[in-house]
Order: sequence, then structure tokens, then C-alpha cells
Amino acid sequence: MLPWVADVLFFATALIYLVASGLFVAYLAGARVFASDERMPSGEIDIAKEMRAGTTRVAPLLLLVGVVLHAAQIVVSSFVLHVCPVEGMHFGMSVVSVVACATYLAMRGRYHIDVVGAFVAPLALTFLVASRFVAVDAPEPSLRMRSAILPVHVTVNLLGDALFTLAFAAAVAYLVQENQVKKKRLGGVFLRLPPLDALDQAEHKFLLAGFPLLTIGILTGTIWARRVEGGVGADVGRALFGYATWLLFAAVLFLRPAAGWRGRRAAYGTIAGFGFAVVVLILYLLKSLGGAGDTVAWLAR
Amino acid sequence: MIVVVGLSHRTAPVHVREKFATSADVLPQVLARLASHPELRESIFLSTCNRVEVFADGSGEGAVDAIRDALCQHAGAPSAEISPFLYEKTAHDAVRHIFRVAASLDSMVLGEPQILGQVKTAYDAAVAAGTLGTYLGRCVHRAFSVAKKVRSETALGAGLVSISSVAVDLARQIFGDLSGHAVLLVGAGEMAEAAAKSLGRGGKGIRVCNRSMERGAALAKAFGGEAAPFTALEDELARADVVVTSTGSPTFVVHADMVKRAMKKRRGKTLFFIDIAVPRNVDPAVHKIDNVYVFNVDDLEQQVAEGLKARQAEVAAAEEIVHKELHDFETWSRGRDVQPTVVALRAKTRAVFTAELERSLGGRLKHLAEGDRAALAQMLDSAVNKLLHAPTTRLKAAAAKDEGADLAQVLQHLFDLPELPTNDAKPEMLEATPGDDERLPQ
Repeated sequence: MLPWVADVLFFATALIYLVASGLFVAYLAGARVFASDERMPSGEIDIAKEMRAGTTRVAPLLLLVGVVLHAAQIVVSSFVLHVCPVEGMHFGMSVVSVVACATYLAMRGRYHIDVVGAFVAPLALTFLVASRFVAVDAPEPSLRMRSAILPVHVTVNLLGDALFTLAFAAAVAYLVQENQVKKKRLGGVFLRLPPLDALDQAEHKFLLAGFPLLTIGILTGTIWARRVEGGVGADVGRALFGYATWLLFAAVLFLRPAAGWRGRRAAYGTIAGFGFAVVVLILYLLKSLGGAGDTVAWLAR
Repeated sequence: MIVVVGLSHRTAPVHVREKFATSADVLPQVLARLASHPELRESIFLSTCNRVEVFADGSGEGAVDAIRDALCQHAGAPSAEISPFLYEKTAHDAVRHIFRVAASLDSMVLGEPQILGQVKTAYDAAVAAGTLGTYLGRCVHRAFSVAKKVRSETALGAGLVSISSVAVDLARQIFGDLSGHAVLLVGAGEMAEAAAKSLGRGGKGIRVCNRSMERGAALAKAFGGEAAPFTALEDELARADVVVTSTGSPTFVVHADMVKRAMKKRRGKTLFFIDIAVPRNVDPAVHKIDNVYVFNVDDLEQQVAEGLKARQAEVAAAEEIVHKELHDFETWSRGRDVQPTVVALRAKTRAVFTAELERSLGGRLKHLAEGDRAALAQMLDSAVNKLLHAPTTRLKAAAAKDEGADLAQVLQHLFDLPELPTNDAKPEMLEATPGDDERLPQ
């Protein structure tokens, strides 16, 4: 497979993510992009319908094209580089963003979170571009060939991270929206963001779906670390942050029914948990950058 | 000529307007009465809470008087009583008025969308009654497209402009779909009733908490809900999602401590207060509690004021659309005025040529074969077309500049055209067919 095909797919995906992000953000900022004149029974412009008829018809469509190209890019690149996408960090971030986008596209109608695309699309773009700067892990055949644990560990973590990305996006949107309501600013952004409860529910459901994956990820990670034994400092740190992420998400999920921690508190908890998950990703990234020579060589190719 | 005679919230108080209240079933009779006036070729009767108007195609003063008579008869009041409130508009002004009405530029609440539906209903009724033809029909159709353009190209209909719509939209923007939520009315006065009407019952039904259990029960019954004693307010707060307070209490009825306790019971689920009472029923400190939102009358009214201000800013853009569409309609209308002259000129020229041809074919050219005769007829046809091309296009161009009438007269004189059928003749009437929106030429 020709390397340039992977490059073309990469840049096309990045461009499409960029345009989709721009459209979503422009809509939130009040531009009447592809607006429709649908009205509610009360006669006001029905923002939800306007979104469905207008921006969200175009921006998610673009995002869908982006996801397809992105998936193709991952497949082609993995052949070019002879690396399985679920082994190692080079594709990890890329896979997180593609899964996050695909899940958003599938769930946006059901959870009434159309505008959350304004947060998901830029994140996808960031992850995609970041993946370009992460070196391709040199496989360690002796260890990897022997165990199926590592691919499972990476896969569940990536899927979990994709869902946490969506929970994070919903949490940020919730805080923005909640702030508008508390300050009684009922203008454009307020009308364009989804209802508070829809955001709270979406955040909770994404978290709930991601948590078992994270749990499996933590378990497989622990087993794997025991096998390899004597990990370096970064590995220990990663594990610690991994456990912290699990604890935080567990607390957010538990306190919701137990102590009524909904809305703002749940959103802060989700954002903090996502922050920890990102730290784990960054620690992987730093580990990969350890082989800086590889990165430079790959980028220069 | 298109004329409009009527009255609206701008000219007539409600006690006059209500005399004209017209239900859908009497509309055909009203239209038939209008159609019985020979001065009125086409007519539409528009009746809303805020306006009663007749749009018609008729001949000048006679048409205006006929509509005045019909309106007085309809209201069952002497002319002297009604006339001071009536306005009349003709030609350019009338068309402009129809466009502005449909676009909601003349509405009491600027930009409200109901008026377009009401004009459509009036249009359909007129088509069904056979009182609408191609001329006025086209004008009203144009009005629809003006309204659609104003709606999609300006923000005249954007923003929230009534207390109830602001309250309902707020609730929707917090809870999304209200169907799965419970509504609680604290106080059972008229305002509570109005709020219940606009909010609907919610999915879990409506509950009423009132000092007088009797009155509360009556209101609850009217909305298919249940009443609760006032002492159980805190428990009710734990069950409700949207709370509308409207008691006459001089002090706060809902306190922060009470809501904090209720929030514990409801495990932090979102609670939304609409406090429409003056003085306020809900302590403003309640708004500071997590997942609790309180909006009072001032908050809602501020939204209304902002919405109206934003709409006002769109008026110029909307008027510009009306202006442009008016110009287009008048251009079409003037072209229509010279059409009989064009038709007569063509008919006469063709008749002269055909007569001459027939004569020759019966005499000197008798020997011509069938094929040659046909070729000759075709040649004359194309000669007529070429000859009349320039006068036709010039006449239409002049008509577009409102100079068509003079030129048409000159042509009639020079070519000795017969007495022309004017547009005063009864036009072709529209027939009601499903999906008639696309029937008229755009």
C-alpha cells in the first residue's frame, strides 16, 4: 500500500474535521448557517428543528465523511507501518477520536445532543493531529506474540476513552448551558445548546457505558504489568493515574443516585476524570517520545 | 384594481372588533354576500382577533362602498357606528398592505407567525366559495412568498415575545421534552390557569397546591390533575419538576431551606420555578441552590422586551423585501393590463392576412396544390409573428414602466382595434384542489 495514500487520507480527514468544527462553532456563535424557518407551536423559531434542518444536517454529514476517511486512514496506515491499530499509542489517539465521532453520530438524535458536535469535532481534530506526532511503537514480538491481553487492554481503553470524550464534551456543554441559565442569559447560545437535562443524561449514559470498559482496561493493565514486572517510572505513574481515573468515575457514578450529585457536580467530576484519562494518554505519549528518533524519522518520511 | 377595506387593532377597540367575530361555518355566506356585489370580481374575507379585512378585486369607489356595506351588514351595526373605524386602501397601497399583513409587519405582536396561517385559511375559504380568481389569487400568493422570505431571510420572527412563550421555552430548554415531567401550580388564580394552559399538563399530570383546597381542586379538575393541601407544599416540591407560583401572599411562600430539603428528597433532580406572582412568592436565594432555577416576572418580561427589540431591528429588512416583491407584482400586473391589446392586435392582423389568403386561394391561386397552400399559410403565420414581435415587446416594456396604457391606446387607435375586454371582466376563478399552493404561476 502506498504511503502517500495514508497521507492524503490524513490531510483530507483533518480538513473535513476542521470545516465541521467551524460549522458547529459558527452555529453556536449565532451564525444562521443553513438555517431553516421551522417554528414551534408558540411561533418562535424552533432551534432544535433549525439544527436538524440546518447546520446539523451539514456538519454531521461532513463529520460522517470525516469518520469514514479517518477509519480508512487508520487501516491504510496500519498496513503501511505494519502495526496493528490496537497495539500502541500511535493509532490509539486516532482510534479514540474516530470511535468518539462515530458514537456521537449514532447517538446525537437519541440523546438530543446535536450541538455537542461543536465540542466533539474539535477534540477529534486535536487527537487526529496529535497522533501524527506520536512515534510508532516498536513491537516487542517476544512478549506481544504470546499474549492476547495487550490488544484487549488497548482496545477496551480506547473505546472507554472515546466514550469519556463524549461524556466530557457533554459535561462542558452542560456547564456552559447551566451558567447561561443561572445568569439568566437566555440569548443565542442558550437557545442553541441542548436542554440541560438532555446534556446531564447524555453525560451520565456515556460515563455509564465507558466505565465497564475502563474497569476491564484497569484489570488487564494490572495483569499485564505483573507479567512484565518492574515497569519504569512512567509506567507506575500511568497505572496510578489509571486507578485515580477509575476511582473518580466510580465516585461520580455512585454519588449520583446516592447523594443526588447531578448536574454541575457530576459535570465537574466527569471533567476531572477525563483529565486524568488524558494524563494517562500523555504519559503513554511521553513514553513513545522516548524513542524520539523514530518519531523524527517517521515525520520526515 | 385591488382594494382592501377593514379594521384592525390599530383603528378599532376590541368592543368594535368583536362584533365581526366570524366562525368558519358562516364564512361561505359572508363570501357569497360579497360576491353578490357586481362591483367585486374577486374577494377574500380575513377575520382574526385583531383584524377584519376584505381583500377584493373591484372597480374603485363602487367596490369600496360595496365592501363597506357588506361589513356593516355582517356586524349588524349601522354604517355610522362602524365607518369611523374602517380604513380603505386601493391599488398600490392595498397590495402593499396585504403583503405587510401576511408578513406580520402589521401585527399587534410584530413577527407573530399565526397571521400567515390565518391568511391561508381565508384564501382557502375564498377558493372553496369560488370568490377568488387569478388576479387577487396571484396577489395573495405573492403575499405568502413575501411572508416566507421575511421569515427565512430576516429575524423578524426570532426571539421570545410573550411571558408564556418565554416560560414554556425556558422549561423546554431545561428539561427538553416536558412530557415526562410533573407540573405543580402553587396558587390557583387566573394567572395559574393561564400558565397551566400554556405549559400543558406535563407527562405526569398537573398538581395544584392552594390555600383554599376547594378552589385548588376546581382548577386541578379542569386540567385533569389533583389538588394538594397547602401544608404539603414541601412534599409537593419533591415530586414536581416545573413549579408555577402565583399566590397573592405578601411574603415569600417558598424558602431556600424548604427547597434544600426538597432537593435532598428528589436526589438533586432539576427543579424549575416560574414565579409570576407580584410580590414574589419564591425567595431569590432559591436560585442559588444547585440544579434549581427561579425565574420571576421581571426576568420573563426582560426576555420579552429583548425579543421585541430584536424584532423591531429587523423591520427595515422586512420592509425592503415587501418593497421589492411589490415592485415585481406591479410589473406583472401592468403587463397584464396591456395583454388584451396585444391579443387584439394579433387577432386583427392574423384575420386580415387569413382573409386575403383565403380570397387568393379561391381565385388566382386556385391551382395551388395542398402542400403549397400549407406552405403559404405557414409563411403568412411567421410574417405575422415577425411583424408583431417589436410592437409586442415594446408595449410590454412600456407597461413595466407604467407607460403601457398610452401606447396601448395609440395602437388601438391606429389599428382600429375593436372595443377591448378590460380586466374589469370577470376573471377565471380558482378551483379548490388539494395542494393548490403550486397552482398559480409564480
